[in-house]
Amino acid sequence: MSVLKIKDVSKIFPNGTTAVDSFSLDVADGELVCLLGPSGSGKSTLLRMVGGFETPTSGLMTIDGEDITRVPPEKRPTGMVFQSHALWTHMNVFKNLAFGLKLRKVPADEIKRRVEGVLELVGLGGYGTRSVTQLSGGQQQRVALARSLVLEPKILLLDEPFASLDQHLRERLREEVRDIQQRLKITTLFVTHGQDEALSMADRIVVMRDGKTEQIDRPDVVYREPQTPFVAGFIGTMNLIEGVVSNGVFSKAGYATPLPVSDGPVTLAVRPESLDLSAVSQGSQGKVHRVTDYGTHGMVDLELLDGTRVKAMVPHPDLFKPGQGVTLAPKAIAAYRDGRVIHRTGVVATTAHPALVDA
Amino acid sequence: MTAPDQIGSVTPVRRRPYGLLLVATPVLLVAWLVIWPIISAVIQTAFVTTPDGGSAVSLETYSFFFSDGYSLSNLSMTLWTTGVCAALLLVVCLPIALYLRFSDSKVAAYVQGLAIFPMFVPSIILSFAFIRVLGPNGTVDLLLNSVGLPHIRSPYLTPWGPVIGLVWDNIPLTVLILLSGLGNVSNQAVEAARDVGAGKLALLWHIILPRISNSILVAISFAVLGIFSAFTLPYILGPAAPEMMGPFMQRTFRELLEPKTAITQAVVTFGFCIVFGLFYVRSVAKNRAA
Repeated sequence: MSVLKIKDVSKIFPNGTTAVDSFSLDVADGELVCLLGPSGSGKSTLLRMVGGFETPTSGLMTIDGEDITRVPPEKRPTGMVFQSHALWTHMNVFKNLAFGLKLRKVPADEIKRRVEGVLELVGLGGYGTRSVTQLSGGQQQRVALARSLVLEPKILLLDEPFASLDQHLRERLREEVRDIQQRLKITTLFVTHGQDEALSMADRIVVMRDGKTEQIDRPDVVYREPQTPFVAGFIGTMNLIEGVVSNGVFSKAGYATPLPVSDGPVTLAVRPESLDLSAVSQGSQGKVHRVTDYGTHGMVDLELLDGTRVKAMVPHPDLFKPGQGVTLAPKAIAAYRDGRVIHRTGVVATTAHPALVDA
Repeated sequence: MTAPDQIGSVTPVRRRPYGLLLVATPVLLVAWLVIWPIISAVIQTAFVTTPDGGSAVSLETYSFFFSDGYSLSNLSMTLWTTGVCAALLLVVCLPIALYLRFSDSKVAAYVQGLAIFPMFVPSIILSFAFIRVLGPNGTVDLLLNSVGLPHIRSPYLTPWGPVIGLVWDNIPLTVLILLSGLGNVSNQAVEAARDVGAGKLALLWHIILPRISNSILVAISFAVLGIFSAFTLPYILGPAAPEMMGPFMQRTFRELLEPKTAITQAVVTFGFCIVFGLFYVRSVAKNRAA
């Protein structure tokens, strides 16, 4: 059992910048939680505090009930994988992995057995005598992961471990890391600013903004039921249309749709895959600006009458041409006011298209 | 067109020697001002004029040097001073460089300024400052005397005089070279070591020192080369006998009027220096290969 609890943790740097503001999170045994957010949202600072490389200004962190808030990194039961791999180039692969075990005075034959076992686990069996500089970026990242795993940490911390890898390798490695994490049932905290990584790997996602939590939920819930306009706009592609509700009707520059909320300004959120388009010659609500054919589907860029841009995913992009008039029919919408969701209707497509996630 | 045709049609690029021309001037200068004097010195000391006016190979000047007790004590004094200075420089400069590399404090900028300061002080000024502070009836003596304590045993005109002066004089270069080496030790490499359980000593011994071993070698080579042939500080602060090779050569040449013996001393000094020069060259080559 390895449970991480973070309670009301804040970090204020000496220059007055608040990096993390009263953050709380419980990570269950064997769970993989992704900290997701834009640059400067405080996710890396939070991870570094869990790893012991930053000291919280206030708050409490425990692992299995033991207070680790002020424990230095060398005495914490955590293992961290860094973005730049941080391998020691004067040691070969075996020595990189064995270093931590030697410091713990593990017998030599036990070190050999454990190092070779972990190298097999990450698919680098037989690479022990190689110099780390002779390895590819993906192999180096595997060694970095193996270096943490060999010490059997209670909590595995991953700080944007795939950020320096190319897209293809990144996708392959994240599947491998997820497989290993599930096989070892190791509690993991994973920092990323890549929503595709978070959506594909996490048991739960914590969306962070300005050091605070915006939403903590399962990936499908975060995608389909974002609680704030920020989450809605940050995860996947979302059309956020600012308009006004009057007598139960939302209107914006010639576009109107029923919305059963009280009168006032509202942000209407519609996923491109939830927006049906129909080509019309008269009474259009917008016109086609650009059509992009992705092969499996098309993406139509629209302009409402006031120039507001909206995206719609269509199965047959060849049916639409730039300049063509269209009407919009949303299948699922959400409405936000004062930064909170006030209305949600319909169900967004059950499976988000990968291209949308990367868009 | 077939592949062999394509290959055959490629016009070979003519390499022009512009690069070589650019380095020709310094190479010629080094050959003229450094290499030739070395060769000339070796030739002058390895040949003697025979009674019939001819010349013959003879190593008698070297035999004299290595059998003369005074020459040997001067050489061993030089080696001792160099060794002690090199060790002290490491002991003094490594902590300073480590502090400057890993400290986020504003004080670090002032410490760096202080560490570099000796670079701007000429050796002769340093020598007189040393005498005024640590010499007989210097500032330290006066202060001790004012509170009723006995005089210190002044290092002035003892083997420790040049050691203190030379260490002070070589601190800036050594710190700068070590600091440059420490720049290659990334924060993440250090954090990764702490993450797997390395305390401060393990971190220094297993991660930092191996990563800066080349820089240490370069720093020590530079320091040793400078100290071995130092003149001003040993001349002013050191004892009259035994003396370091710099003042010894000068005295042999100017006071004893024995140029051949002085040249022999210079060749012997060069022989020791070249060993450390080779360390430096090897280190640079190793870095380039990496």
